[in-house]
Amino acid sequence: MGFFSYLRSTVLSKVVMAITGAIIVLYVIVHTAGNLLIYLGRDTLNSYSAFLHSLGPILWIIRIILIVSAILHIITSIKLKFENWRSKPTKYAVKNYLKAKFTSRTMIWTGLMILAFVIYHLLHFTIRVTNPQHYYPEFYQPHNAVSSVILERFDVYRMVVLGFQNPLISIVYIIGVITVGFHLDHAIQSMFQTLGYNQKHYFPTIQKCSTGIAIIIALCLVSIPISVMLGFVGGGI
Amino acid sequence: MKLTLHIWRQKNSSEKGHFETYQLDNVIEDMSFLEMLDVLNEKLVLEGKEPIAFDHDCREGICGACSLTINGIPHGPEKATTTCQLHMRKFKDGDEIWIEPFRAKAFPVIKDLIVDRSAFDRIIQAGGFISVNTGQAPEANSILVPKQNAEKAMDAAQCIGCGACVAACPNGSAMLFVSAKVAHFAYLPQGQPERKLRVLKMVEQMQKEGFGNCSNMYECEAACPKEISVRNIALMFRDYLKASCSEEKLELVENE
Ligand code: HEM
Ligand code: SF4
Ligand code: FES
Repeated sequence: MGFFSYLRSTVLSKVVMAITGAIIVLYVIVHTAGNLLIYLGRDTLNSYSAFLHSLGPILWIIRIILIVSAILHIITSIKLKFENWRSKPTKYAVKNYLKAKFTSRTMIWTGLMILAFVIYHLLHFTIRVTNPQHYYPEFYQPHNAVSSVILERFDVYRMVVLGFQNPLISIVYIIGVITVGFHLDHAIQSMFQTLGYNQKHYFPTIQKCSTGIAIIIALCLVSIPISVMLGFVGGGI
Repeated sequence: MKLTLHIWRQKNSSEKGHFETYQLDNVIEDMSFLEMLDVLNEKLVLEGKEPIAFDHDCREGICGACSLTINGIPHGPEKATTTCQLHMRKFKDGDEIWIEPFRAKAFPVIKDLIVDRSAFDRIIQAGGFISVNTGQAPEANSILVPKQNAEKAMDAAQCIGCGACVAACPNGSAMLFVSAKVAHFAYLPQGQPERKLRVLKMVEQMQKEGFGNCSNMYECEAACPKEISVRNIALMFRDYLKASCSEEKLELVENE
């Protein structure tokens, strides 16, 4: 089995969940902050995107780390879940939960919904196959120029605005990012516990921050399609 | 008070069980939950029916023999209380109560409400011994234990091995129990020589017994009658990781 022999240990499986999860959480935070640049206008968002694409090999290293993390996270979670189902073959006729929350009991389902959402999101905005009519290079009109010039950069702003002007696409994104919020509510504090960081004097704070960060991320991301649909962003496009 | 009881009946481990409903009219508030079941059993015996099998021993909350999942909560609704210490005054006249065995694959039902918890004994055995000399009690001050460590060890040692943590966990995981046993010795100087081997072996045995994985839902901690903290699980994870990189792990692998 080689590398995957960690799957035989319940503790090591959890540690892989926590480390791969932490990598993806960090990415999600940075990605959310980047997305908020849309509120600073077309030029800011498009130069940010051009900057990311200019990173070249670094961008690919980040992508590979993320893809490997995601694959390990998913494989491990499915293995854990199957074992957990096997360990509790008979359900209670009546069950009252004391501490287990809705978000902690539904990790596999929110996880799989995120997976579906992420695949769609990549096809839509990264590989750009679902709505080819939205993808243009940016036309840039210098202030005193007589004719417009075509910049060597892609008009991400326009792509996002055109995408979110379609209510169906916006609803998919809104549901997708709320699901991410549900997953993170349990996930962030969970990785501290798994990695052994739980002492009385700080863990209650970590638990509150876990919920807080999850809500902030979900609200920030939900705000973008809503702002576009209401015309606050990209009204002129 | 009058109660309607839905109780799990199962002849033996191979047969399928089912709920049976009983009406009990003469319940007194001061009875413990088990005394209430005793009264029901006497009634069943008088009627020539098979009494309900349930586990109990000390009836003072210290042995860990009693069990029962009462209205979906192991040891019932009262916080930090075993079933034997739960009193009927916590219920109201006319209440409907669902009584089920502790459920987990590693705890097969033997009869009615009795489950086989010997998997816990095998985990304890896998933990092995600690290196202390037998004979006369040693001089009390010859091994010093910092007060905060003594307290944490004592908190962990409160675990009575009842299995409510496994029963409460949606995954049927035994992490809380095993971590209590691991932490109990990990905080004491007497537990140090075998510390790494102990955590490796106990976790391995726990997995062999078919207990589930921990998803950090903390349901165990809430159901535990002795309020064992999930901080012990965090300690066990730390110890396990350190032990996995140690010579002790190499020895285990080579001995296999
Ligand atoms: C935005 C993407 C995602 C992030 C940021 C994320 C993050 C995390 C983190 C940090 C944990 C806590 C690990 C621990 O318990 O220590 C976790 C747990 C979990 N994740 Fe994800 N995850 C993501 C996507 C997914 C996907 C696509 C799945 C799909 C199957 C998934 C399934 C799970 C499951 C089942 C758990 C609970 C495992 C357990 O404790 O039993 N996650 N996630
Ligand atoms: S940890 Fe608590 S619930 Fe689990 S066996 Fe020990 S006393 Fe019972
Ligand atoms: S019978 Fe001993 S703890 Fe309940």
